[in-house]
Amino acid sequence: MYIDPHIHLVSRTTDDYEAMQKAGIVATIEPAFWLGQPRTEVGSFKDYFSTLVGWERFRASQFGIVHYCTMGLNSKEANNIPLAEQVMELLPLYVGKEGVVAIGEIGYDDQTEAEDRFYREQLELAKEVDLPVLIHTPHRDKKKGTYRSMDVAEEHGMDPGWIIVDHNNEETVKEVLDRGYWAGFTIYPHTKMGSERMVEIVKQYGPERIIVNSAADWGISDPLAVPKTADLMRKMGIPEEHVQMVTYRNALAAFSLSGQMHEDDWLKAPPIDQTKKMGGNSVLRGGQVPRVEGPSDRVEN
Amino acid sequence: MIMKQNQEYSLFLLGLLESSAEQKSLDWLKQKVSKIKDASSPTGFFLAFSQASRFFSKDPLKLSDAEKNKAEQLVEGFDPSHWNSLQTARTYLLFHLNLEKEDWLKAVNQLFETGDLYEQAALYAALPLLPFQNELLPRAIDGCRTNMTLVFDAIALNNPFPRKSFPELNWNQMVLKAIFMQRPLYQIQGLEERRNAALAEIASDFAHERWAAGRNVMPELWRLVVPFTNERYLADLERTLNSDDQLEQIAGALALTESNSEESRTLLQAYPVLMEKVASGKYDWEAIGKEFQEKSA
Repeated sequence: MYIDPHIHLVSRTTDDYEAMQKAGIVATIEPAFWLGQPRTEVGSFKDYFSTLVGWERFRASQFGIVHYCTMGLNSKEANNIPLAEQVMELLPLYVGKEGVVAIGEIGYDDQTEAEDRFYREQLELAKEVDLPVLIHTPHRDKKKGTYRSMDVAEEHGMDPGWIIVDHNNEETVKEVLDRGYWAGFTIYPHTKMGSERMVEIVKQYGPERIIVNSAADWGISDPLAVPKTADLMRKMGIPEEHVQMVTYRNALAAFSLSGQMHEDDWLKAPPIDQTKKMGGNSVLRGGQVPRVEGPSDRVEN
Repeated sequence: MIMKQNQEYSLFLLGLLESSAEQKSLDWLKQKVSKIKDASSPTGFFLAFSQASRFFSKDPLKLSDAEKNKAEQLVEGFDPSHWNSLQTARTYLLFHLNLEKEDWLKAVNQLFETGDLYEQAALYAALPLLPFQNELLPRAIDGCRTNMTLVFDAIALNNPFPRKSFPELNWNQMVLKAIFMQRPLYQIQGLEERRNAALAEIASDFAHERWAAGRNVMPELWRLVVPFTNERYLADLERTLNSDDQLEQIAGALALTESNSEESRTLLQAYPVLMEKVASGKYDWEAIGKEFQEKSA
């Protein structure tokens, strides 16, 4: 069993969902993010957030995958201040909903003043509603941005054990782990982190507080990055227990601090039954035969 | 008037929760209500409405006969034995959103637009108890466009609101969508009394589409043509009598029996076995609906 704790499923196809389920992914977390181009109206945020707690969760369930999400204003769009202020007003409507497992992904992009302001406001929001925080670290000037994210979180009295610092690399991992944070690693086919580098990191730092994800979205990315990395780790001699920690247990431990994620959600899930859910525009089109599985068809990976 | 009604409903709901929820959950609820009712902004209410899921379960309520009667007395057709604790708590919170009409509608509409699956279901099921029903009617009609079964069911099934408030066009669209989604029609309140000629025609057209695609027809559908049996529907029903599906045969025979016309009787006489089955009284529409749901589950 795997958890992909960072994947933007609204951008993925039903083929991806099927492949993920087949590869052993039982649960996913979809952080609220930007859409590849900036939104210009607060209503676009509202409908996006509603999709994360509504339709996308329903869609995932039809493929036997439990869907969670994180809510937040991403750092890129924090730079449109009038819009960002409206989004901040909207967030209280969503952060308390079922299956919202963190505030995120928030943090810095260009490390502007506006980004800093809304990052801090959202740290306060997380404290108010008792949710962990998922920090997006910048692509440019990464090391400084990562350290700054942690400095500011500590300034706000946050517990590092409640924060997942994401998109780490060889340059940032030591400091993040030393300071007591969870360290997320995104496996990208071309940039960021490849599976081979990931194996080396787990060899060097061990499996404690390390979390692997795909961050698959609308760009070139691989929704099977987590199971593929796990396979490579096994091949390279990393003990099974360590593989499970970085591809399943650690993510569960970190995000279940929210009280919104439980292993029972998938271990005791109702069998996939697409016939019950056949709606006007359901994922099944005319003539397709629904895939109905009983609990006995469930295989433990 | 509205305040008084709210109070009566809210007391009743609290009573249901007291017999099903834990004390710490009830304490949380009361504490939230005391904050919400004097607040000028709905923010605290929004948070409480979603966070109720941390305190109340989705286990169905268990009602005594007295409670069932009381519910019916409060609002005709209101049957909270189809409700769970969580939605009861959420509806209870709604009754303490103490705002003027315009602000109240703004807040509630915002809730509809931002609700997750279970929140939306709670809101639609609460419609028959809520104030400003005329203003909420478009919301309910729009809600029927959902693809999420749980949300559709909250409007269409075991809910007196559509029966009382939906104009014929929207009523017909809802019933047709229920057929399309293969929902149990017998759980639609007022299905029989609100049958109409246009709906019978839509139902028959739908059956013909299914036949053309070589697929079966939901047997409960034929209940809709009963008061209008003309030549066209008689031909449809004759076809169901010869279906390879036994439940469809019985549904056709029941529809013909209930239509009670000379032509229906003549047609049925050629099918004595089916006539007998219907005469046994074992099959009403609910029994047919239930068997169909079990079969397709």
